[in-house]
Amino acid sequence: MSRGNIIAVVIAAVLLIALPRIITHEFYINMASQCLIFAILALSLNLMLGFGGMVSLGHAAYIGVAGYTCILLTIAGWHPLLAAIAALALSTVIAGVFGMLSLRAPGLGFLMITLALGQIVWGIAYRANTLTGGDNGIRLPARPEPFGINITGAPAFYYFTLIVFAVALFGMWRFARSPFGASLMGTRDQPRRMRMLGHNVWMVQWLTFVIAGFWGSVGGLMFVYYNVFLSPHALTLQQSAEILLMSILGGASSLTGPIVGAVIITLIKNVASTYVERWNTLLGAIFIAVIIFMPLGLVPGCRALWLRWRNRNRPKSPTPAAEPAE
Amino acid sequence: MTPALAIEGLNKRFGGLPATRNVSLHVMPGERRLIIGPNGAGKTTLFNLITGDLTADTGSVKLFGHELVGMPTEKRVHLGLARTYQILTLFPKETLLHNVKLALLGLDPVRWNPWAVLSARTAMTEAAHAALVQVGLGRSAERIVAETSYGERRRLEFAMALAQKPKVLLLDEPLAGLSQEERKTLSTLLKTIPRDVTIVMIEHDMDTALEFAERITLLHYGEVIVEGSRAEVVADPRTREVYLGD
Repeated sequence: MSRGNIIAVVIAAVLLIALPRIITHEFYINMASQCLIFAILALSLNLMLGFGGMVSLGHAAYIGVAGYTCILLTIAGWHPLLAAIAALALSTVIAGVFGMLSLRAPGLGFLMITLALGQIVWGIAYRANTLTGGDNGIRLPARPEPFGINITGAPAFYYFTLIVFAVALFGMWRFARSPFGASLMGTRDQPRRMRMLGHNVWMVQWLTFVIAGFWGSVGGLMFVYYNVFLSPHALTLQQSAEILLMSILGGASSLTGPIVGAVIITLIKNVASTYVERWNTLLGAIFIAVIIFMPLGLVPGCRALWLRWRNRNRPKSPTPAAEPAE
Repeated sequence: MTPALAIEGLNKRFGGLPATRNVSLHVMPGERRLIIGPNGAGKTTLFNLITGDLTADTGSVKLFGHELVGMPTEKRVHLGLARTYQILTLFPKETLLHNVKLALLGLDPVRWNPWAVLSARTAMTEAAHAALVQVGLGRSAERIVAETSYGERRRLEFAMALAQKPKVLLLDEPLAGLSQEERKTLSTLLKTIPRDVTIVMIEHDMDTALEFAERITLLHYGEVIVEGSRAEVVADPRTREVYLGD
C-alpha cells in the first residue's frame, strides 16, 4: 500500500470512529450504520461483479436466507451467536447451490438465473406465512449482545457495525490482492487463456460466488440486526438492483467504489426522499450522469481526473528499448 | 520410446464440414515438428483439439501416454502442455510481469489462496522476471502490455509458455505479423529452448520454419497428406502442389 493510501485509510478510520461524536443526532448515526451495512452488501457483490465480471441480480436473497434463519433460530431459543453462525453457514451453502445453477450459463443467462433464484427466495418469504410471517414480516426478539455489550442504542450499534465492516473490508482487500484474486481477475478478462495457463475457471468463479454469498450473508445479518425485523420487501428485485447499482455507481473493480456508491444511494434514499417526492428520478438522473461522464464509476473516474491533473505538465517517459533475447 | 504426443484417428466436424479427418501423428520427445498447410487446412483446429479448446468427435490424443480426450484444458496444462496463440491472448491492462505471474500461478497450488498477498511472493516474482529476461523483456517487466509493441507481446506469449516449463509446447504461428528483425530475434529464441521441451509449430514463414523443423506434417482439408523429414516433405510433389507452389 502506498504512503498516500495509508494516510487516506488512517484519516477515514479516524473520521468513522469519531462520527457519532461529530453528528450526535440519532437519525444520522443510524443512517451511517445503514451506509456501512449496504457497503458490506455492495462490496460482497463487487467480488463477483468487479473482480469476476459476473453480474448478479439476486444478491438480496442472502439477506433473506441469513436473516430469516437467524430470526427463526433465535425465536426457537438458540443463543444469538449460534443462530448467527448457523444462519451464515446455511446462507453460504445456499450460495454454493445458487452458484452451481447460475454458472451453467454465462453473461445474460447468468444474470437471468440469479434474478430467478432471488425471486424464488422472495416468493418463499412471501408465501410461507407460518414460517416467515408472509407480507407482514417477522421480528427479531432483540439485538444480540456481543461479549455482553448492549448494542441497542444508535452509537453502540454503529460501532458494532463499524467493526464488522472493517473486518469485511480487510478480508475483501486481502482477497483482491491474493493469488486467488489475481486468478479471478484473469478469468474475468481472458477465461480461455486462463484455462490454457492451468486455472480451473469454473471453480474460481464458483468459489467467488460462495465467498460473495458469505459476505452478502454477513451484510444481510447486519441488516436484520439493524431493523430487528425482516419482511419480503427487503428481498425484492429492487433491493438486488440497488445493491448492484451501488457497485456500478461507485465503480466496480475497486474496493472504495462500492462503499462510495452505497453511501450515495443510502443518503439519497433516506435524506433526499424527505425533500424530493420523486427521489427515484433523482437517483436515476445521478446514475445516468455518472455513466455518461465517468463510465467506470465515480471512484475510477475521479482517480483518472486526478491523475490527468497531476500529470498535466509531465512529459511522456520514453519506453525502454527491448534487449536481445538470451 | 513413448511419444511425447501421440494422435490417433482424430476427427472433428463443424456441422457438415470436416475440420480434421482421421489425423494421426506421433511426435517424439525433444522433436521439433512443423505443421504446414494452406489456410483452412485444420492446423489451428488440430491445436485446439490437442489443448481441449475443442472436443474431438472421435480419436485419441496422448501426452506421454496420458489420454487427453475428455480431460479439461487446465488438467492437460498440468500434465505439461503449453501453447501460444495465433491471435495474441494476453492481459492488456496488466504489466508484463503480472502476465507471466498468472502463467506461474496456473501450476502453483497457491492460486487457491484468497488470503496470501501475491506481490509478497518473491520467489514467484523472481521466476516471472527470469522468464521475461529469457525472452529479452527483463527491462520492460513493469510496463503495461497495452503500451508494448506487437513484437514484444509475441515475446511475452513465449515467456508465459516457457515460464510453465512445459514438456510439449504448441506454437501457433509465432512469427506472424513480425518484422524481419523481430523474426530473427524470435528464431534465435526458439533455438535456445532446451531439448527436454518438445515443440510442435504451425508457421507460414518457410525460411525460418524449415530451418527449425526436423520433421514436417502437411495438412490439407483436415487430412495428413505428407509426413516425413524436412527433405522428404519439401521434395514431395504433393507439397509443391497444395502448399509451396512451383
